[in-house]
Amino acid sequence: MFDRERGWSVSFAGCGFLGVYHIGAASCLQERAPHLIRDARKIFGASAGALAGAVLVGGGSLAEACADVLGLAKEARKRSLGPLHPSFNVIKIIRDGLFKNLPENTHQLSSDKLCISLTRVSDGKNVLVSNFNSKEEIVQALICSSFVPIYCGIIPPSFRGVRYVDGGISDNLPQYESKNTITISPFSGECDICPKGNSANFHEMNVTNTSIQFSVGNLYRLTQALFPPEPKVLGEICEQGYSDALRFLKENDILSDSVFVDLSLTQRDPQELIEDINFAHKKTIPETKGTTEMLKAEMLNDQLKLNTWPLDERIFEHLPPRLRKALQEACKEKSGFYAQLSKLLPMRVMSYMILPYTLPVESAYSVALRLVDWFPDIPDDVQWMQGQLRRIASAVYSRARNKIFSTSSKESYTSLRKCQTLPPDVELHSSYCHSKVPHSSADLEGWLWDLPYCRDSAKQISTDIKGLSDLDSHPTFFLNSEESGLEMDFDSSSDKSFQTVSED
Amino acid sequence: MAGRAALALSVAAAFPGPVSVRRAAGMAEDGHLEASSDGSGWLSSWLPAWCPTSLPHLKEAEEKILKCITSTYSKQYVFISNGNKIWTLTFSQDLSYKTPLVLLHGFGGGVGLWALNFEDLCENRTVYAFDLLGFGRSSRPQFDTDAEDAENQFLDAIEEWRQEVGLDRMILLGHNLGGFLAAAYSLKYPSRVKHLILVEPWGFPERPDNAEQERPIPIWIKALGAMLSPFNPLAGLRLAGPFGLSLVQRLRPDFKRKYSSMFDDNTVTEYIYHCNVQSPSGETAFKNMTVPYGWAKRPMLQRITHMHQDIPITVIYGARSCIDGNSGSTIQSLRPNSYVKTVAILGAGHYVYADQPEDFNQKVKEICDSVD
Repeated sequence: MFDRERGWSVSFAGCGFLGVYHIGAASCLQERAPHLIRDARKIFGASAGALAGAVLVGGGSLAEACADVLGLAKEARKRSLGPLHPSFNVIKIIRDGLFKNLPENTHQLSSDKLCISLTRVSDGKNVLVSNFNSKEEIVQALICSSFVPIYCGIIPPSFRGVRYVDGGISDNLPQYESKNTITISPFSGECDICPKGNSANFHEMNVTNTSIQFSVGNLYRLTQALFPPEPKVLGEICEQGYSDALRFLKENDILSDSVFVDLSLTQRDPQELIEDINFAHKKTIPETKGTTEMLKAEMLNDQLKLNTWPLDERIFEHLPPRLRKALQEACKEKSGFYAQLSKLLPMRVMSYMILPYTLPVESAYSVALRLVDWFPDIPDDVQWMQGQLRRIASAVYSRARNKIFSTSSKESYTSLRKCQTLPPDVELHSSYCHSKVPHSSADLEGWLWDLPYCRDSAKQISTDIKGLSDLDSHPTFFLNSEESGLEMDFDSSSDKSFQTVSED
Repeated sequence: MAGRAALALSVAAAFPGPVSVRRAAGMAEDGHLEASSDGSGWLSSWLPAWCPTSLPHLKEAEEKILKCITSTYSKQYVFISNGNKIWTLTFSQDLSYKTPLVLLHGFGGGVGLWALNFEDLCENRTVYAFDLLGFGRSSRPQFDTDAEDAENQFLDAIEEWRQEVGLDRMILLGHNLGGFLAAAYSLKYPSRVKHLILVEPWGFPERPDNAEQERPIPIWIKALGAMLSPFNPLAGLRLAGPFGLSLVQRLRPDFKRKYSSMFDDNTVTEYIYHCNVQSPSGETAFKNMTVPYGWAKRPMLQRITHMHQDIPITVIYGARSCIDGNSGSTIQSLRPNSYVKTVAILGAGHYVYADQPEDFNQKVKEICDSVD
């Protein structure tokens, strides 16, 4: 079904902790249709999608990545403030996990194939990076792509000397518009592989290329993206990714290997599954590699069957054995006395009560730790901050100068437009923004200035009203604005006045 | 609410000139619309002032879109009963033996959204497109609150339009809500439909009973959903007032991209905004025809077995769409002795005809050529 001559790409959407969905989907593609990944022209990814893509093509282990994400989620949930607690250093944990998981030659494996979406801090534009010289570079690019500002920190990381933040801010699903891209997103919406919601609502929103259907389920998913749910729920999301990917493969007839019996979509108990595998094993004469794979699967299945599972067995049954094992282990509750005790309600209430006392201490400790980590980067970062401050200062200065030296009220109006709609350093485009392109922040004003059109269309209106409106609108507007001396902030000030009125 | 009224008053007071002109324009050109708008008088009286829209705005936005179409066409109102009028575009060809193709747009749309399709589709047959009753530039009457009656009001409008235009038989193509209505029309007037093309039809499957069983959702999110469900689907857009247009641009930047081969600017988002922010008539009817969230009260799959078995059906869906493409195969199994075909268009979402216009046009032309 996919065009073999022109090739195809795979694109993973950014989604924070819902990245386990990608791991489920990726492991399905890897297992059931390896050629889809192997022969793909590019693997695109933003944020968590880039992490999944990097592990998938860079030779990492998906099961290990899954365990890492669940570990990260557990770490985030451990403290009373969740991921907002100062001692939760998400970037450091991701970096350590990547260094551990990716092999040393990962840059050779994924160069020209993995394409990471980044947002350049200086102009907010999207940048796709696809060749890497070392493992460090890949990890650094992935860190940049996952850096959600404020949530992860204040100073954005740099890649090859340029500051970048989360790719999801500018393009969350690269190459979405192309017909030959297989898009994967954990939000139900318009994607090739995504959860099919139980809502028939066709209203949706589009956030930097990711379409998100308006549904209760998606609202819940959005809250989970940065504030992770329990490991068990994440496991379910992973399982959903696997089964959605499998459904996609089935619908498009690209299931590569018919030797493998359907492990996933049917709900059967492990005993039956093993019988099935044995049956398939006897019936067909698979390649040697397939045989060993299957033997391994059998062994794992046996192993899993013998274990007494701490959780609802049904949930993870669909997943491939290795991934299932990783999930099971990650979901295991700590059985110690302290862990049991800390789960009790009075203990939890107490931990919140003593938060005002413990928080400063913990913050100080974690700030000290971060300072030590930051040490090698201090010169760069300080330089960058100085540059930023200088830019802000010069922008403020040029605005002030414009205001003071503006001669006539007409001209002050054009400068007003310029300041509102474009960043201060792009001043050459004044003619462009003067044309009637509706810019978001100037809408209310545009509405006001639509007057000539309105007059044209309403021919029935008598001339005296026309004259009146002429008198009323233009001159009063300028008089007012000149008196207050607030031309530049006309929009924001009017917004404010709306808000204050509506609060009454 | 009182705060909002005060807010509207303050807007009117702050900008006396433009507002008064605008309202006068709306009254003068379409006075009967004001009269027929729903009963909540104080609300509708300040609504036009709060939302920067009017029928002339919509007209202008539509003209901007249609300007880019090179084929010759005519546009006019077709008058039907109850003083309603249906805004119609006609791309006529002198091939009278060919069955004309009639396009029904979806919820919240209008004739302008077919801009990428007209030129290809009208190559060798007459194509009609009209704004459904209660949408776009057609009249916006008050619909019955009962789902069945509202549906019949839609269908009667289509039938009266057909009589007025003087078509004997047609190939009926409907997208979204249009697909639902096209199917319902074919049930009611089977002799008029030569081929039924359903593009991403809404309202076919039934709401699943155990919808919420799969994954528990926190109570507060459910409560939020329940709180929003009594409102019209696009009420937020009207509430946003002067910020509505930028809201559409912010939430649906994809529309601009879909039509980027034709317009570089925000023409299409403006058109969609002005189509939807006017007094909600078809929108309210649609709301009354649904059960939360988005499921049809009277699902079409329950009724499709009664359809005349000589009417061939083609279902076109986008491979990426969130509307279930399985409806096609279900229809097939429900009508074993009839022609039912399902076509998936790769890389397309719900707006198939705008996402992959070439593929879509080609498929539709193939289907039409198979008719005559």
